[in-house]
Order: sequence, then structure tokens, then C-alpha cells
Amino acid sequence: MRIAVCLCQVPDTASVIGFVEGAVDLSRVNEVMNPFDEYALEEAVRLKERFEGSEVTLFCVASSSAKEMLRKALAMGGDRAVLVSTAELSDPFQTAMLLSRAIAGFYAGALPDLVFCGKHSTDFQSAQVPLMLAELLGMASVSAIIKLQASAEGLQVEREIEGGIEYLDVHYPALFSVEKGLNVPRKTTIKGVMEARKKPIDLLPVTASERPFVEITGMEPLVTKKTCRFVTEPEELVRLLRHDRALF
Amino acid sequence: MTVPYSEPTGKRGDLAAMTKWLVFLEQREGVVKQSSIDAWNRVQELAASRPDVAVSGLLAGPASLGHLEGSLAGKGVIAHAKDECFRLYNQERYLRLVADILNREGAGSLFFADTVLSRDLAPRLSVRLHASLLSGNPIFDDARAADDGGCRRPVYSGSFIASFAPRRPLGIYIIASRRTPSVDYPGARIAFVDLEACAVAGEALFPLVRRLAMHQGTLDVAEAGIIVAGGRGMGGPEDFALLEQLARLLGGAVGASRPVVDEGWRPHAEQIGQTGKTVAPSLYIACAVSGSLQHLAGMGSAGTVVAINRDPHAPIFDVADYGIVGDVHLVLPKLIEALQEFLKKG
Repeated sequence: MRIAVCLCQVPDTASVIGFVEGAVDLSRVNEVMNPFDEYALEEAVRLKERFEGSEVTLFCVASSSAKEMLRKALAMGGDRAVLVSTAELSDPFQTAMLLSRAIAGFYAGALPDLVFCGKHSTDFQSAQVPLMLAELLGMASVSAIIKLQASAEGLQVEREIEGGIEYLDVHYPALFSVEKGLNVPRKTTIKGVMEARKKPIDLLPVTASERPFVEITGMEPLVTKKTCRFVTEPEELVRLLRHDRALF
Repeated sequence: MTVPYSEPTGKRGDLAAMTKWLVFLEQREGVVKQSSIDAWNRVQELAASRPDVAVSGLLAGPASLGHLEGSLAGKGVIAHAKDECFRLYNQERYLRLVADILNREGAGSLFFADTVLSRDLAPRLSVRLHASLLSGNPIFDDARAADDGGCRRPVYSGSFIASFAPRRPLGIYIIASRRTPSVDYPGARIAFVDLEACAVAGEALFPLVRRLAMHQGTLDVAEAGIIVAGGRGMGGPEDFALLEQLARLLGGAVGASRPVVDEGWRPHAEQIGQTGKTVAPSLYIACAVSGSLQHLAGMGSAGTVVAINRDPHAPIFDVADYGIVGDVHLVLPKLIEALQEFLKKG
């Protein structure tokens, strides 16, 4: 089975993002693998372990600084990585476009059997790249899956919807974006880290030739601080919520 | 292999004439979702200051229209695709339906409520129609303004608010959830027209939703107007009975912080925050939730926030409107009792 996993980097949640001269300053930010991508990678590696002769290839659109993150992903069980290195910022459509080219190029025009992506990146939470990529590749897709059962013939997946669960049947080739809960990602082992050093990371320097669909035109710090009114008695709170706020 | 993408060749409609907006309405098990009703009303609100805009709707799947009486604002025609083949969500079938109606209507903007379905559908639609896809709060205050037609939403765990602008003539908007008050709109003029039967009904289009199982009797946190959330400070899974009781009293849903879900005390479906759901209820009661940045990222748009915590320095109090410093095990029973007393009096 040929499995592709798309990975991206996001600021570590403990990092403080600066704001300098009207722009976001990410210079002091520690970048890590997007948490949802860890579930995507874990699922791919589990399938590789089940289906003999499988290969897991990682695809990432980022600056060359993503190599360290890709080494970790290789240590978790990826076989090789393709880093689409681009210095420019790209919108989700451009990112999907670059990924689709990298994937089409890597598999020489054929499609991988499966593509896994995280549900969304935790920094922008757009949740657009995975399904845009599926449309560009012409693959079946299901977003935000929480369960996957694969056989040689086809796949059965589950997706959490508001207040319930959808059970879906899918054929190969297919792309899935994955939700937390699908699995528990493994920790890297020393053996894995050693092996990862020998695995190839191919650099694919490209620029987006398509214009973006969407542009960011402004970014401002968001102040969410409120002045808390402390009360001591629950009766008082009920009265305030009812009369001052008319909430029930 | 050539990647299937080309610049569109079709002509756009005359921009000086009426601008058409299309709102997608979603049903589950024959009931139009509240989030879709909220989205429709929000779009009507945006259109109210724009005399050049006409709003229409598309409702996919058989649904009872009776309970919509009075809940939809403004005026417009809603096309009802009531064919059985749209009852369960089918990505490809829905894609074709929306693209077809959008084309027929000549709409320049398409609006969705922020749901699991729209997040599954809209990105593919965006590529297929070469349309800009924006999510958050749409900006349509002034047609002459530079940011008109854009969207604003929090990014980086709610530390920043970003403005996004479309760069394509066609815009698809996923509107951030916001409960509109359930008031009656007596002056509204909404007409429903049935669409003809589905042309591709017999075709099995994968991925296929084989089955849908709804959880009985519980409200989803993403759709609740009131949320009672618990953090690790609750103590254990059995302590959430108090929160369930409070949520029932208020007609709300129970939510949880990440540590609570990671401990296995509550299901992931209830998790609020960066790796959980983003919610915007009118009332959010945070019980023994410390208020990490990751948690705040998921509830930053809540209306009124109440925090109950033992630690007076817990960051949750910085984003709360009302606070009680104390042990949830002592405060919550009193709060429940006070509320019961209150509701009895009416």
C-alpha cells in the first residue's frame, strides 16, 4: 500500500507570539508538528505495519526549517519525506496546489492508495487544505474521521457530526483528514531516531504559480480580558444572570 | 499528469445589477439545523443594509418546513431539494447540487453555517468553482470599503484577529456560529419551491454514508446556547453528574477541557479548545477550569462567561464576567438549588 501523509508545522502552544510594527512576530516561536498531523501519521504507520510492502511518504510545504520536524516524523515510522520548500507564505489553495504537484510528481502520475492529513492546523484552523487537495487530486475524501477499518477491498470510516456519528463506506484511493481520538500517537524510540537519520528527505524547491484565492489583509492582537465581578453567593449569581443578562 | 485545474472561462454576471447571495441550509433527520437558521438570519442581517442584494436559499434533503414558521428573517425564495437521495449527506451529490443551484441563480456569494458538513463540502467546492473560501465573521458593512466581502476571525489560539480578503469573483463563506435569539419574524416573506427529482439518484457515489446514528437526548456542545464546562479540578468522572444536572436545568450541554478528555473522564466530542471544538454559546459556565490559552481558544467568543474556581488567580477569571471563588463541590449544589428555586417561581 502506498500511503502519503501531509504534515505541517505550527507554533508550540507554549510559545509567545510577538507583535512588532503591526505584524505578527514568529521569530521567538518554537515550531512543532501540528498535533492533528500526529494522528494522521500514526494511522498511516499502523496500516504500513499491517499491510506488508507498504511505504509511508511524508509531504510538507514549509521553509527548510521543517527538516527537524520531518526527522521526528521519520522516527515515528515514515519511510521518506518530500519537503516542498517555499519561502513565501501561501494560502490554503496554494498549499494544496503545491502538495498535489509534489504527490503527483512523486508517484509519477499515479495516485497513492491513501492520503492522510490532520483535520486542521491549530494555528489558523482553516481546515481547507486536506479537502482542497483531494479535489485537486481527484480522490474520494472524508474529513475529520475518528475511526478507520481498512481491508484490501475498501474502507469503512466513522465521523463525528453534531450530536451523532456517520458511518461511511469508501473505496481506494482515498484521502482522510483525521480528528483527535482516531488513535494514540506513539512516542519516538532511540532506535527510531537512529534509523530516521538514514532516511531521505528530498527537497523540492518550488513557488506557487497560481494566484491565491484568499489573502490576509490585517492582523491585530486580540484582547479578550474582561473585568470579572466576583460574587460570593450562588443566589446572587442567578439573580445577575437572570436580570442583568436575561440569559434564562 | 496534469493537475486538474484551469482558470475559469465562464463570464460573470453584470456586477452593476442585483447581487445574489445563496445560503445553504442543512437538515439532519428531516429537521433544519438551528445553525443553518442562525446563518440565514445572519445573512439577512448583513443584506439589510444592502439594497442591491437579493438572498435566496437552498435546503438539501427532505425536511418538515412547519417548524420553520416565524424563525426565518427577511425575504427570499428557498429551493428545497426534497428528494430522498439528499436525506443523508453525500459529498459528491451535494457538491453537484450546490454548484448547479449556484450557477442557475447566478449567485456571487455562497454562505454556510460552520458545521462538520460545511467543512467537508466547502473546500472541494472552492477548488471546483475557483471560489475564495473564507470563514469567520463576514464583513459587508459598506460596499465601497476596501475590506468589504472579507472575513475576520481569531487565529493563533485567539491571540490575534486576522482579516481575510477574497481574491476570486465568487466567494464562499463559512459563518462562525453565533446563536441568534429565537424571536419571531412576523414581517418575513419566505417562499419555498420544490426542486425536481434528483437526476443522479441511482448512482452510488462514494464516500457513501451507510448509516447515521444520533446520540439520544443529549445536546451537542457545538450547538448549545448554554454550556457548563468542567476541568480537571472537578476531581473525577463521577463529579460531572453535578454539571449534567446543572446543564439539564439550563437546557444546555456539558463541555470539558482537554485534561478531562485525555484522562478519559469525558468523550472527545465534548472537548472545548484548540484540539477540540470552538464554541460560541450565550452563556458559558466554567467549573474548575483553570483557563489555559488552549482552552480559551475554544470559548473566546462566548457571550457571558461565569467562572467557578478555588484559585482566585486562575486565568479563567481574566476572561469571565462573573466569578465565584470556591470549591465547585460546595458551590455547584448551592447554585443548582438556587436555580431550581428560581425556576419554580418563574
